[in-house]
Amino acid sequence: MSGAGGGRTVDAELQLARLLIARANPLTLDFDADWNLRDLAGDAARFGFDGEDAAAALRGLQELFLGMPLDADIDLSFVQLPNGRNAHVHLATSADGFRVILLDAQHEHDRQRSQQQAGNEAMIASAQKSKAIGQLRRIRDQLEQQRSRLEEANALKTALIATLSHDFRSPLTSIFGYLHLLEADVALGDAPRQHLRAIRRNAGYLFALAENLLEYGRSESGGRVLDPVLVDLVALGEDFETMFRPLALEKGLDFRVQVRIDDPRKPVLDEMRVRQILANLLSNAVRYTLDGSILLDLHWRDGALGLRVVDTGIGIPEEHRERVFVAFNSGAQAGSKGAGLGLSIVKRLVGQMHGSLELESTLGKGSTFSIVLPALGQAEARDPSTGGGRFADTWLGGRSALVVEDDPDIAQFVELLLDDLGFRVRVTGDAASAVELACAEPPDVLLVDVELPGLSGNTVVYRLRAQGYRGRIVTMSATPTAEARATALAAGSDHYLTKPINIEQFVRTMMRVLEPR
Amino acid sequence: MNMPARKICLLGDFGVGKTSLVARFVRNTFSEEYLTTVGAKVDSKEVALPSGGAVKLVVWDIAGKSALDALNLTYLRGASGLLLVADGTREATLRAALDLLMQSRSLLPEAEAVLLVNKLDLVERWEVAPSTVAELRRTLPVFETSARFGDGVEAAFAELAGRIA
Repeated sequence: MSGAGGGRTVDAELQLARLLIARANPLTLDFDADWNLRDLAGDAARFGFDGEDAAAALRGLQELFLGMPLDADIDLSFVQLPNGRNAHVHLATSADGFRVILLDAQHEHDRQRSQQQAGNEAMIASAQKSKAIGQLRRIRDQLEQQRSRLEEANALKTALIATLSHDFRSPLTSIFGYLHLLEADVALGDAPRQHLRAIRRNAGYLFALAENLLEYGRSESGGRVLDPVLVDLVALGEDFETMFRPLALEKGLDFRVQVRIDDPRKPVLDEMRVRQILANLLSNAVRYTLDGSILLDLHWRDGALGLRVVDTGIGIPEEHRERVFVAFNSGAQAGSKGAGLGLSIVKRLVGQMHGSLELESTLGKGSTFSIVLPALGQAEARDPSTGGGRFADTWLGGRSALVVEDDPDIAQFVELLLDDLGFRVRVTGDAASAVELACAEPPDVLLVDVELPGLSGNTVVYRLRAQGYRGRIVTMSATPTAEARATALAAGSDHYLTKPINIEQFVRTMMRVLEPR
Repeated sequence: MNMPARKICLLGDFGVGKTSLVARFVRNTFSEEYLTTVGAKVDSKEVALPSGGAVKLVVWDIAGKSALDALNLTYLRGASGLLLVADGTREATLRAALDLLMQSRSLLPEAEAVLLVNKLDLVERWEVAPSTVAELRRTLPVFETSARFGDGVEAAFAELAGRIA
């Protein structure tokens, strides 16, 4: 049995050997100790060991073992031979030489390379992708940083413009106030009166410039919230007549204000914005009209304010009609000498109030700006401090006032105005003493500046209200924003006046303040 | 008189350009196609020495890997010199080349080594900083090479040949 079993084993081994030989196509080369070929058996052509390349192939084979110790068997897998074929190379040593066996590995090599190639390419692509993502992240970070810097710069710019505008208002309060007092002097001669007008005209220009800069400094979208108040259109017209008639007359221009009210409902608008629009349009009209007339027409009808400024000025060429509404395009209008902000601000303000703006102009004959502003609400809107009726000095006589203002010029000016109105006036310049004075002898009305040294005017108001002060409080500030106004009112103030102080407005406010509650 | 022959091996991560460097050096050819090497390819070229004479370099282009395995160690046996190859556009391959040098030291403690930072033609995409190359030059010869255009290739092989001849 064992003999038969051994026979089967031998048969199986022979079968296996034949199979492997068929698959591997071996080539066996026998060398002596000096690498002289003694015998060769197998598929020589497959490995390049036939024909004229045989000598080179043999040299190449010998070089495979260069430097290697030949005292033991050596296996080298997947070696590319000089003819380009891949083989597993096996070297066996014997007492008198070497036997090298080459097994064909081309098929397995190609299969492995195919797999390896895909893997390597995927890894390279992945590395490139990671790198690209890293670059994109870096670019994004850089853009973020750049955006932050730009936002910071923009915030600084806005803060700077707001500060400049604010800082303009305080001295202008004094200038306008004392101008008013000087102009009220009936004994003044013609020449000094003209000089005063020149001062007023230029101060007015400075004021308008500061207002426009402040508006421009606000972001396009994130500007002030609308502040709807009841507007006294007659008083509004009077204010602008007072402001611009002297300037127009000085140039020999006819200046008319026309107010028509054809809707019984009260107009509710953002008065601050309306005033800014009118100031810009009328400033331009006066500036660019050399002779003829200027008309301001305010027409309240169908729940909207129609506002027209008609001049007989130099006009705007057709090709410049779009450009005049772009900021800093002062060159768009012939003979322009302004900052080029006014009409861009007008356009922006009209847009904020959901209104419409039209320009008609004939070169050399004049321009008409027509604006329609829809009402912002019904009569439930807050009654503004500017909405008083005719004033009578006797109303105010015998009342007491405490003025809290650190600027001595403005303090003196307000004191003079109040004195004229018959008030008994005390003045102080800081928050602590204001609270002390008001508590010791509560005034009928407290007029307080917001920007005081140390604690703000709003703090004074808050502390007095907290201590039960029930008198009227008027806050005065050079910051004309809705936020500043809301802050003052929230602190407990009754009215908010912006500097420069318009005297008529001031008087109306004082009358309204002291009306019975 | 027989010309002396020396075995040198190229080591480096996959895709750094080892096969392309050999093709440029031995046959002065270049192919844009990337073909992964499996196992090893053996070529030879005679190199003239600056000191006179010449040496035959038997060049083993070994499949790219970031670490040596048993198979690669077999290929390295008998080598007198190593050409370590990195891809300048992939800094990780520089670390791999230096790791391979460290690993080969157990088998080839005396072998000379030259570092090739390849793909000089893509220098604007290099991750390897000039300062890094300068630092490495203090410990081993470094050549910036371009298998595509041939820059630095001949000089790198000649440097190694001069050291092992």
